[in-house]
Amino acid sequence: MPPCADCARPTQVLILDDEPIVCKRLKPAFQKAGYEVETFTDSASALARIAEKRFDVVITDLKMEGADGMIFLTRVKEVYPDTGIIVITGFATSDTAKESFRKGAFDFVAKPFKLGDIIDAVRRFEESRKTA
Amino acid sequence: MDIAGGLKKLFSFRSSSQTVLPFTVLFKKFRSILERNNLILELMADMGDKLGGEYIFDSQFVIDGTGKISDLVFKLISDLCVITQSDIVDLFVAFERIQFQIQEELAGRRAVPVTKPVLLLDELNGDFSEEAGNKFANLGDIRNTLDLPTTDGFVVTTRAFFDFMQANGLFKIVERGLAELDLADESALEAFSHDVRGRILAGNMPRHVTSAINSALDIVCDRNRGGPLCFAVRSSAWGEDSEFSSFAGQYESVLNVPRKGILRAWREVAASVYTPEALRYRLHRGYRESETAMAVGCQLMVEAEVSGAMYTYAPVGTEQEAMVISAVWGLGVAVVSGIAESDTIFLERNPPHHVLSVEPGRKATKMIGEQGGGTAWVDVPAELQDKTCLSANYIQRLAQAAAMIEKYYRRPQDVEWAFDRQGNLFILQSRPLNVKPNQPERHMPHIDNVALSAQVLFSGKGTVVQGGVASGTVYVVLTDEDLKDFPFGAVMVSRHTSPKYSRVMRKARAILTDIGSATGHMATLAREYRVPTVVDTGVATKVLKTGDEVTLDAIQNVVYAGTVKELSDFEITQEEVFEETYEYRMLKRVLKKITPLNLVDPNSEIFRAARCQTFHDITRFVHEKAVESLINLSENYQRYHDKKSKRLDIPIPLGLMVIDIGSGTNSWPDAQSVTLEQVESTPMKALMEGLMESGMWETAPVAVDLGSFMSSFSRTFSSSMARPEDVGRNLAVVSDTYMNLHLRLGYHFNILDAYIGEELNDNYIYFRFLGGVSNIERRSRRAKFIADVMEGFDFRVEIHGDLVVGRLKKLSRERMVGRMKVLGGLIGYTRQLDVNMTGDEMIDFHLADFMQRIQVLKEVSEDAPMCGLRPTNPGSNSG
Repeated sequence: MPPCADCARPTQVLILDDEPIVCKRLKPAFQKAGYEVETFTDSASALARIAEKRFDVVITDLKMEGADGMIFLTRVKEVYPDTGIIVITGFATSDTAKESFRKGAFDFVAKPFKLGDIIDAVRRFEESRKTA
Repeated sequence: MDIAGGLKKLFSFRSSSQTVLPFTVLFKKFRSILERNNLILELMADMGDKLGGEYIFDSQFVIDGTGKISDLVFKLISDLCVITQSDIVDLFVAFERIQFQIQEELAGRRAVPVTKPVLLLDELNGDFSEEAGNKFANLGDIRNTLDLPTTDGFVVTTRAFFDFMQANGLFKIVERGLAELDLADESALEAFSHDVRGRILAGNMPRHVTSAINSALDIVCDRNRGGPLCFAVRSSAWGEDSEFSSFAGQYESVLNVPRKGILRAWREVAASVYTPEALRYRLHRGYRESETAMAVGCQLMVEAEVSGAMYTYAPVGTEQEAMVISAVWGLGVAVVSGIAESDTIFLERNPPHHVLSVEPGRKATKMIGEQGGGTAWVDVPAELQDKTCLSANYIQRLAQAAAMIEKYYRRPQDVEWAFDRQGNLFILQSRPLNVKPNQPERHMPHIDNVALSAQVLFSGKGTVVQGGVASGTVYVVLTDEDLKDFPFGAVMVSRHTSPKYSRVMRKARAILTDIGSATGHMATLAREYRVPTVVDTGVATKVLKTGDEVTLDAIQNVVYAGTVKELSDFEITQEEVFEETYEYRMLKRVLKKITPLNLVDPNSEIFRAARCQTFHDITRFVHEKAVESLINLSENYQRYHDKKSKRLDIPIPLGLMVIDIGSGTNSWPDAQSVTLEQVESTPMKALMEGLMESGMWETAPVAVDLGSFMSSFSRTFSSSMARPEDVGRNLAVVSDTYMNLHLRLGYHFNILDAYIGEELNDNYIYFRFLGGVSNIERRSRRAKFIADVMEGFDFRVEIHGDLVVGRLKKLSRERMVGRMKVLGGLIGYTRQLDVNMTGDEMIDFHLADFMQRIQVLKEVSEDAPMCGLRPTNPGSNSG
């Protein structure tokens, strides 16, 4: 099931989380749903990658070693304002949620989450982009 | 931390100071126990859900979750400590023990199972994977739960492995070696492996293990005298043959080992834990060394005429699915290791398992066990080389056994088997087969079609506790007695949920109940055993009868008539959802210390604090003790007379005084009495309304015949025979949600303790009925009548002579109120009833009479599930 019936190119997704298990599990799930996925467990490599390539959707953890998710989010929005950003975090407070929305995140998912939840979030973003 | 000592001090202080806490304070503690009990059950359910594979979680989630639960359990025990003193020290000790085990798991240290060094196969089932490894735990299921033929034997447990490694200082050597090892350096890995294996082969077996092995050998050899007494010695490591990794072929097996060679063979198998291949496999899959342990199974050899392997599920082409058998003459090594040609037989997955194709292989040689031990390859006689080695009858028997194993585990299986010369079938082992259906998507449209064609019995009713699909024959469980005969593979249908059902969890293919909660103890068990379960359907026992064939789709929450094949196929071919991750395994191991429930029956010998093995056990124990203590406390209410009591003003002369401990009434503080309208307490209001509305009180007292009169006369001085004028005031302690009532009416003595609030899991009614004039037969008949009525309204009832105790838990507020009203009616009806109980037929007469008259309560006539004994109009309620 291609995520976008009209366009030939599958939606490009970047996933950044320092917990390897999150990447390990999200990657095949998104691939199976028809997306092209790249995963990173450190923000430095992810930052380097977005300098080279534009992604349609970025899924990022907030709390990480080095440049944290908020910095990464800000950077992505600077370079690609159209990219949809979905924030995942185990420290879900309304403050962090507000902060990430203010910085331009599309959605916010608290850990632990269902595979379906995050794929739905990405689909909602695609829908919103189509109608926009 | 010396908790036990500290507590003793605390208690001695308490008893010397004679502090009696006000009832209000104790009741608050009781409330907090109920709340924490629910929180714990919910957290356990929540963590259990994460094992379903749908969720993504990290190790922090596991650490946080267990932290929260253990904190709550500790506070739960502390609360109980305030209410009661008995058994508390044992509880804290149990808590510390479990807590320690969990911390060890979380820290990634080896958790050494507490078990004997050797277990007989007869003692094993699927719960023993830690002690006996998955392979032999599964074989225990096959032997003891499924009653399929297996050979006799025993398992040298992982405990023995730990003791051996420890005694020879080998864990330290392995740890140090691995830490220093450059994993990319192949030759270093080889050298390390060689060194460790050499040390294991030369290691000393601790004496207690050797003697345990010898005792087991004595037992097995003694039981099988006359047969060949050589053993197959097989690996059964942690993680081997598990849902996510087979470790297939990683570890050693030694065949046809004579008694004197067992210890040597054990060392060979144990050493295979550290072959370079096994080390690499574990490293590659992210297994840590603390997750490594080897149990070793020793089974009697089968003098096999023919043996092999069978896959219960094999994709054939793109559309068809089949079972496939590989068979050879002699021992099955050739099949398993793929070193020689074998016969290949495809057959249908569904009974009668028609053979689809037979491809004979050229079986020029076969492996046999040699006299005195060891194996050898010998030539197969020319006329047998191209002959198919399985007859139609053998194929049938094999297919049936394998299908049974698959159904039991709800996953396709890879079964190793053998037939001896006498034609006896033996299952040697079975492991989950990780196949992916060839076209997973095509199952979905199938199911939509099915939904259109199959007859729906009911759908969308109640709460799904554990998803999944299952077909089977309905078996309705009404009493604990029914559990004894519960057939394997049946769909359990019952009125209630009960942790007692854990007895049949391994046998039940699905569970449907009329009432019950999704976070109760049974729900936790259903998740643990992964039995598709829907509770609180309201209609299950009405619609389904023992013997009906049904299919439960607990994903869509639909119950279909008959076996819906497409759905059952979907079940076993569902894509593997479990992840091969350390986090998943960690959660699973930690939950083993948290969720299993061993203290199931409060009346059993083992229902003691010292026997608590998990947090669930502690929670259950505390809950039971708290309710018990509250009842005891309120029986001694004089000690807690810190509240002023008021007389209840109602038309019926109950002589009832009410103590309000919190929002139970709304009369003036200084008022001497309280009217029924001023009663705010839900249980009390319901009881009194039931008493009034049912009109039962108006019944003219039954004339006392001479026999009864004489009987009561002669028993005047018996302590259980207080006459009404001897009795003090009747008393009720109430709050908005609670009532504790002691009520003496005529010669009857009722105790009623009830909590009815919004939270289903908190709600309970405890009812005790005792005493009465007239002889014991009549009183027993009355007891029987009361028990029958209460059972009709879902109480669990025990009768001891003329004492009746009824318990009811975890129903919604509305249903609890309805039942409270019934009790009101019952209290009215039973006044002096015993004198009328002249014969056993009177039990049925009064039962019918009561059930008829109680219909006047709208809660009874309108609540569909509350109709256990009501004459039903056949055909009026088909789904």
